[in-house]
Amino acid sequence: MDSSLPLLVAVLGAVLGGGLLGWSFRRASQSPALGAGIGAVAGVFGVGLFMAPLNFCTFEADRTTADNVFGVLLIAAGFLLIVLPVRWVALRLAAGQRLIGAQSTPGAFKGTVLPWLFLLPTLTVLVLFLYYPSFDTFRLSTLLARLGTPRTAFVCVNNYTRLIADTSYLNSLVLTLLISAAIVVIGLVLSLTVANFAYQPIKGAKIYRALLVWPYAISPAVAGVIFLILFNPTGGIINYFLGSLFNLKIPWLNDPAFAPWAIILASVWKSMGYNILFYLAGLQNVPNDLLEAAAIDGANALQRFVRIVVPMLSPITFFLVITNMTYAFFDTFGTIDYLTGGGPLSSTTTLMYRIYQVGIRNNDLGKASAESIILFVLVIGLTYLQFRGGERRVSYGA
Amino acid sequence: MLKFKTLVVALLALLAVVPAFAQDAVDVKVWIAFTDAGRLGWAQERAAEFNALFPQYNVTVEGYANYEELFAATALAAEQNSLPAIVQYFEVATQDARDSGYFKSIAEALGDRTEVNGQAFNLDDIIGPVAAYYTLDGQFTSMPWNTSSAIWFSNMTILNAAGVDAPPATWDEVEAACEKVMALDSAPEYCFTFPNHGWFFEQWLAQQNAEFANNGNGRDARATEVTFASDAGVAVLAWLDDMAQKGYLYYSGAQGGASWSTVDQAFSSQQVAMTAYSSSDTAVYTQVGVDNGFEVLASFLPYNDDTGWTGNLIGGASLWLVNGLAAEVEDGALTFLAFMTNTENAATWHQTTGYIAIRTSANELLAGEGWFETNPNFSVAADQLATSTVTSATRGAILGAFPAIRNVVTAAVDTVLLTDSAPADVLAQAQADANVILEEYNLLNAE
Amino acid sequence: MTVRTQDRVAVAGDQGVLAALKRLLPKRWYAHLVLWIACGLIGFPLFYAILVSTQNNSEVFAYQFTPGANFYANWDVVFNISKLSAYMVNSLIIAAAVTTGKVILSLLAGLAFVYFRFPGKWLVFGFVLITLMMPTEILIIALFRFVNSLGWGNTYIALIVPFIASATGSFLFRQHFANLPAELSEAAQLDGATPLQFLFRVLVPVSWNTIGALTVIQFVYVWNFYLWPALIIQGQERQVVQVGLRTLLGGDSAVRFGPMMLGAVAASIPPLIIFLLLQKQFMSGFAITRDK
Repeated sequence: MDSSLPLLVAVLGAVLGGGLLGWSFRRASQSPALGAGIGAVAGVFGVGLFMAPLNFCTFEADRTTADNVFGVLLIAAGFLLIVLPVRWVALRLAAGQRLIGAQSTPGAFKGTVLPWLFLLPTLTVLVLFLYYPSFDTFRLSTLLARLGTPRTAFVCVNNYTRLIADTSYLNSLVLTLLISAAIVVIGLVLSLTVANFAYQPIKGAKIYRALLVWPYAISPAVAGVIFLILFNPTGGIINYFLGSLFNLKIPWLNDPAFAPWAIILASVWKSMGYNILFYLAGLQNVPNDLLEAAAIDGANALQRFVRIVVPMLSPITFFLVITNMTYAFFDTFGTIDYLTGGGPLSSTTTLMYRIYQVGIRNNDLGKASAESIILFVLVIGLTYLQFRGGERRVSYGA
Repeated sequence: MLKFKTLVVALLALLAVVPAFAQDAVDVKVWIAFTDAGRLGWAQERAAEFNALFPQYNVTVEGYANYEELFAATALAAEQNSLPAIVQYFEVATQDARDSGYFKSIAEALGDRTEVNGQAFNLDDIIGPVAAYYTLDGQFTSMPWNTSSAIWFSNMTILNAAGVDAPPATWDEVEAACEKVMALDSAPEYCFTFPNHGWFFEQWLAQQNAEFANNGNGRDARATEVTFASDAGVAVLAWLDDMAQKGYLYYSGAQGGASWSTVDQAFSSQQVAMTAYSSSDTAVYTQVGVDNGFEVLASFLPYNDDTGWTGNLIGGASLWLVNGLAAEVEDGALTFLAFMTNTENAATWHQTTGYIAIRTSANELLAGEGWFETNPNFSVAADQLATSTVTSATRGAILGAFPAIRNVVTAAVDTVLLTDSAPADVLAQAQADANVILEEYNLLNAE
Repeated sequence: MTVRTQDRVAVAGDQGVLAALKRLLPKRWYAHLVLWIACGLIGFPLFYAILVSTQNNSEVFAYQFTPGANFYANWDVVFNISKLSAYMVNSLIIAAAVTTGKVILSLLAGLAFVYFRFPGKWLVFGFVLITLMMPTEILIIALFRFVNSLGWGNTYIALIVPFIASATGSFLFRQHFANLPAELSEAAQLDGATPLQFLFRVLVPVSWNTIGALTVIQFVYVWNFYLWPALIIQGQERQVVQVGLRTLLGGDSAVRFGPMMLGAVAASIPPLIIFLLLQKQFMSGFAITRDK
């Protein structure tokens, strides 16, 4: 590595940050010099956010191109992560806005120490048990580390770049996305259909509702245990029914083509109660006059459902897509651990389950941490995309 | 006068009771990898007996779901200084156990004592192959308890109906028997199965006198490379693949997915006629035949005809004494180890499960009762080990991160059985993957 | 209103026989049919688990649809050998502690966010908001190391404190308070009430639905803890029920389905009770946030 590289990158960060904020300030009719100054400082911190702890190792002489590219990406990510928030804050401050939320209550209490005191426990817990471990996870991801060893070894970004060529990792990534998509789509379609019937003013509606929503209280692990007997290869009741009705025998847990479906079915079953619950609540907000008007116009029940109910429920659907996706990514862990243990042939090894296998079972802390960080970025990315898509499609009617 | 006497007696009684309350029993925690009533229950009964015999100790036995889980749990517990006094480690964890420093060798803890609290260790009484296996660096390291070997169980009722008189001894004989079994009008769904666990690959490899890792299977010096993708290794996978393609082999599922119990169910419900299994469940398998009305015969694990049979590996696990215990806890743990594996307990443990009776005296006791004559299935595993030729291959491999590497092998078997990939390619890839794991492990651990 | 309109539309298309049939069937028979099927499918796994919990393996493999004779034997395995009740007590303790703690901390955070104006408020708000995107599951390895370094390994504290505050709880109350009429706090100020008096005398009594909703969410969330306790708690003394169920798996030896299902069913009873008791609060607690 050229020893002048850190300096070069720092200057680049200062120039880019200074330029960006100077320009932003000018557009906002504020002093460009002040903006450039703040931007330059932020830029230097930004480019160094990930690189300084790594000591610019991705640019050492014997590094591969993949490492170099990864290093550039890290520099860019650090830059954006620092400069964009700083730009937002600085512009607000410069515009003379005080750092108080727009929401103000007429009868607000006086005092500046008291609110901080009230927030202190919450903030302490979040900093200690969420923020700090996040940074520590990143630090660990640059190491070769095991429990019970006398030492660790710094491996730069190898734990990341090796994953690019790791087919088992890429399979796991695709698998996670597919399983999640199936859980979300199947779960929401079924739940909305059932909720729509349960919402109708029929006799015993309350009893039906109670009988539909209780799986919310079942844990993912218990769902795995219960489906273990349903899908058992020798004495599974589902195969007994399939066998007597259609002469089918499906190797649910022993065939890579079916095992993911065992996980999907168990997860859909477990999360349906929650989904139905929210759709029932949402249906109460669909105005009856709208439906009546449509009925008079000659729209049949299905048309009314598709054209009015579904769009009116889109905020709920949007919320449920996010919660179900989170469920599919993380909470399926318990179900998988009891039902398939990630197999066969890694066909149910989701990214989260892989982190457990690599980090805990194989005691490879560094690689598991690197996979954690990637999953972290993936989840943030997907959530962001949904918000973007959601904004456009969601109907905030009524 | 009477009253005074009563008072004195009462006071004396109180004096006798008070110290008993004041002096708390020393807690000795034991973690084992069994949760079934048969094995965890047995150990808990021994603990109860022991606590009655030695009121100064309070031994509690806790069960983890399997070896892999207990192995991971031990590393986690060590990190928080919450290790128990005794941990049951499976054989592949031996190198990790040595490197981690979590444990103390039995020989070192004993020093020049031969007994603790009157409980004799009699290490000379431990049968040859077992003593050899658990002697590392010339020291008796961990206490053998549940020693097993991979053996073969046949449903003789089906085999006889198919015209097969004796369990197959070789791979070719397995195939020949399967041909006849599957030709039956009332043929089972499949001919045979085995729990998909890397241990069986290791057994079939050792039978052919092929090493799993370099440096004398890691026994001459620390293993730095695995060598299982040899012709012998490929032969194992090729044979399994062939049997699966002919419809003989029932794939029992990945290890994590309770493959052992799938095999149990398949054998007891006569979905298959034969299976490879650990001798640990000889009692269960023999009983299954009685319960379901078929004859179960145990035999040596079939071997590759082309390379012949050298011997089989010891399996199972042993009890490790945790390092850095308080002196009274360590003594309590040693006393319990001696008690739990004494002649009588070694014999009943063998009878309850099928694990090898680890003491010569226990075998003599059992033989004297005519046990092996009336229960021939129970002598198979011990005979298989006793007749094995001791080579570096059959002594079993010792290498770092072996539990993780075993998972790689299990996954390779999975891949061969579930996809069209060629066994040689799959095994070569597995060896490469395993070597990375081993290299990184050694980087952090080797001196 | 809706009912009548829809009936009119339906009646318009009626013909002789169909009409007669319709009179025989309950109104909206198709809805009943769909709901019967849905309730049946959703209920079947639990129903079957309850059935199996009374059986031994041969009864299970014979697909016997009547209760077996092994309930007491299974009970013995679950509660005397595996001591599942001890695990359940542990889960109950941590679920109660986290739920109580989180309700209190979230009330305080909501109070600060809604009824105070202070510099840096939106910054703090953003700081809390971002944690919505930080799933604890991803951080477990680092969290494990950190919690151990605090000396909390293998304690209840490790299962309680890291989970006692969250963005969800804070926002739930922030939303709820923001929707309350402003007169509440004005009146309180006139009376000279301190913020804490205001919180406990005025806000809490009008927040029971939200508190109930958060209680259900938190109780179920903590009761379902699985991966984290499996790492941070070793040994059985303080282990939670979802991990404790593993002792019923049977490991490498023959699985016994009866005890396994009995354990699964027993482990589900406490959260089911909480959920059914607080279902109304749960629903209306969320209705408030949604109305925003």
